[in-house]
Amino acid sequence: MRLWGLLGRSGVRLLLARSQGAPAQTVAAAAAGGNRGRWCFTVRHINDATWWHEHLSEENTQFLKKLTAEEYKAQTENKLCPLKDEPWPLHPWEPGSRRVGLVALKLGMMTLWTKDGKSHFVTLLQVQDCHVIKYKTKEDNNGKAPALLVGGKNGSSFHRDESSMEMFREAGVPPKQKVTTFNVSENAIIKPGTPLYAAHFRPGQCVDVTAKTIGKGFQGVMKRWGFKGQPASHGQTKTHRRPGAISNTRVAKVFKGKKMPGQLGNWYMTAKGLKVWRIDVKHNVIYVNGSVPGHRNCLVKVGDSRLHCYGDDHYKNLPFPTYFADGEEKLPDDLYDEDIFQFTEPSITYA
Amino acid sequence: MALLNRQLGWFLTHVSRAVNQRNFSITGVCNAIQKQTCVRVIDNSPIGNTPYHRPPKCIHVYNKTGVGKVGDKILLAIKGEKRKAIIVGHKMPGPAMTPRFDSNNVVLIEDNGNPIGTRIKVPIPSLLRKREGEFSKLLAIAQNFV
Amino acid sequence: MAAACRRLLELPRVNVVLTGACSIVCLNAKDGEPAQFKPPPKPVIVDKLNPEVMERRFLSPEFIPPRQRTSPFKFFIERRDMIQRRKVLNIPEFYVGSILSVTTADPYAGGKKSKFVGICIQRPGKGLSATFVLRNVIEGQGVEIRYELYNPLIQEIKVLKLEKRLDDDLTYVRDALPEYSTVDVNMMPVPYSLTDEVPVNKLKVIMKPKPWLKRWERPRFKIQGIRFDLCLTEENMEKAKKWDMPWIEFDMLKEYDTSELEKRIWEEVNRELKK
Repeated sequence: MRLWGLLGRSGVRLLLARSQGAPAQTVAAAAAGGNRGRWCFTVRHINDATWWHEHLSEENTQFLKKLTAEEYKAQTENKLCPLKDEPWPLHPWEPGSRRVGLVALKLGMMTLWTKDGKSHFVTLLQVQDCHVIKYKTKEDNNGKAPALLVGGKNGSSFHRDESSMEMFREAGVPPKQKVTTFNVSENAIIKPGTPLYAAHFRPGQCVDVTAKTIGKGFQGVMKRWGFKGQPASHGQTKTHRRPGAISNTRVAKVFKGKKMPGQLGNWYMTAKGLKVWRIDVKHNVIYVNGSVPGHRNCLVKVGDSRLHCYGDDHYKNLPFPTYFADGEEKLPDDLYDEDIFQFTEPSITYA
Repeated sequence: MALLNRQLGWFLTHVSRAVNQRNFSITGVCNAIQKQTCVRVIDNSPIGNTPYHRPPKCIHVYNKTGVGKVGDKILLAIKGEKRKAIIVGHKMPGPAMTPRFDSNNVVLIEDNGNPIGTRIKVPIPSLLRKREGEFSKLLAIAQNFV
Repeated sequence: MAAACRRLLELPRVNVVLTGACSIVCLNAKDGEPAQFKPPPKPVIVDKLNPEVMERRFLSPEFIPPRQRTSPFKFFIERRDMIQRRKVLNIPEFYVGSILSVTTADPYAGGKKSKFVGICIQRPGKGLSATFVLRNVIEGQGVEIRYELYNPLIQEIKVLKLEKRLDDDLTYVRDALPEYSTVDVNMMPVPYSLTDEVPVNKLKVIMKPKPWLKRWERPRFKIQGIRFDLCLTEENMEKAKKWDMPWIEFDMLKEYDTSELEKRIWEEVNRELKK
């Protein structure tokens, strides 16, 4: 029976294909005795089966779920007033300062129009339960700059090792589905546990969005690198989508980095310098120009653009080190870029 | 005889246009105007309206992409001659709120940019007015805008 | 007996007159012109005869979200902006096959406005980026314009004739004889009622000779509004049936029942619009 417990604990279940209702001991004995011709084992990994699935009844599971939800809610509400909760000293903005960013959920795309009637396709990024998780000192990080770990979207506390749970427990926030690192300047550090909002960014500024692109699997050179392939006919033998020659006899080797078939997508990519057109303060939605990597409902990392073309002036008037909901700044429900047509305005006319 | 011939030709072109806007059988449906696209001349110039056994065909597009859009200049092979023309509407859908036509329409111009014909009855896109200085004579002979 | 007969005869007449009057009132209200119409004492009788006369429930198709894994919150956000725009601009009820006139701001046109009248042949797109395509034949030249429904350049959308056709997509009129897509530019609006069912025009079009844009006889288009008997032989129709996939309609994975969703969204939109 101990074997069963171990198997169950590691998330593996044994299913009997043929002998339904046979006592388990018989099965074990048969397996041990090497009489494999008669018994057919199917080993299936069930991803949602954890150790507590094995031992908890249905009511207990429901109770645990309810309890965790309440606990998460209490933890989140506890952190709503970071300015009253012994904040770390706030420093003013200086040239060269780098702020923290956010973790947001990609909702999808829609259209916005500017006041001259041009349409712009924008991506909606929702900021959901985004908290600062941990502060890493300069020495701990990379020796160059301190870092802040930011997490977004509450997740399950299961399937997590003890060290990461410890991190969330110290910050006093629920465990997060995604945690990213932002290298910040010394004057922009924030106390772990501070909630971050969409109003951290302002319309008109530019952001970089990093996410994992949609995976396409192992692909050939035509799809992966845009090679031309070979003709469909005219004596081609089994050569239509192949790369052709990969080197020549003179160099007698294949150069490193040669474009070849391989995995396409499912890697991290950054869309740089996307303009923020509009911020929905009430619902915590950022409207970012153009497309961003990743599928719908994926978690993306959003930070101030690191492109050199935007000087320090671009970031001068942004909330520093971040926007505090309990601060003095009172914002309307929607913030618009000055060029954006607001739907409450009358139609555009040319005089 | 010559008069009869001309009248017959005029009748034929107009009837065929009314029934089907393809005057002749052309190779497939060519949405974008590129090399070898058959086009329709919509002004009243004699060279564009007398029937000929070969439809007017684009043999060059004077831009960098090689795909002609509204306002681009192209070179036509028409009645065995080479003539320049301005595209005033195409089959390929453009951006929203701009017209799309059922045929690829052009207006013949001389080398100095003046239109050969004296009247354009078919509607042309009002987007051309953006380049008023360039096409002032063409816009002056147009009667309908969409 | 004679009196009874007269009463019988009178009843429908009263009905007809009153429904006509009702529709005129509604039309006036829709156009936004103050009606100089004095209500006669008869409407009281209408209420008694026909107490369930309610305005037709109509939800514009772009409000119904497509079937996908996008979060419903995204559609809520989009819907909020659509409702805001609808409060400013009156976007009337219309269908594929209706005749519309659209006025847009155009910096290049004389008077800085341009008007286009045509028959609506498609309504693609969902949400804020929904569009509709108007088609007309002007001077023998087929012209189509794809308008964005929520584009701020649109000044006015007017329904000149409200009707449905046999199909939900009239792209095939590009291949039909030009008279089927010809609309008079100076057409006067035909009054329509806001309460009755939308009339379906059962017109079947005659096509030009092949080649067409698409092979409309193929079963996947499910075209009802073409006189195939005039342009195709029996043999051709038999051949086209080869592509029929009658099992598709029984595919339960493709079922998407939006009736509940529609009801909820209609209530939300109506509530917000009345605010």
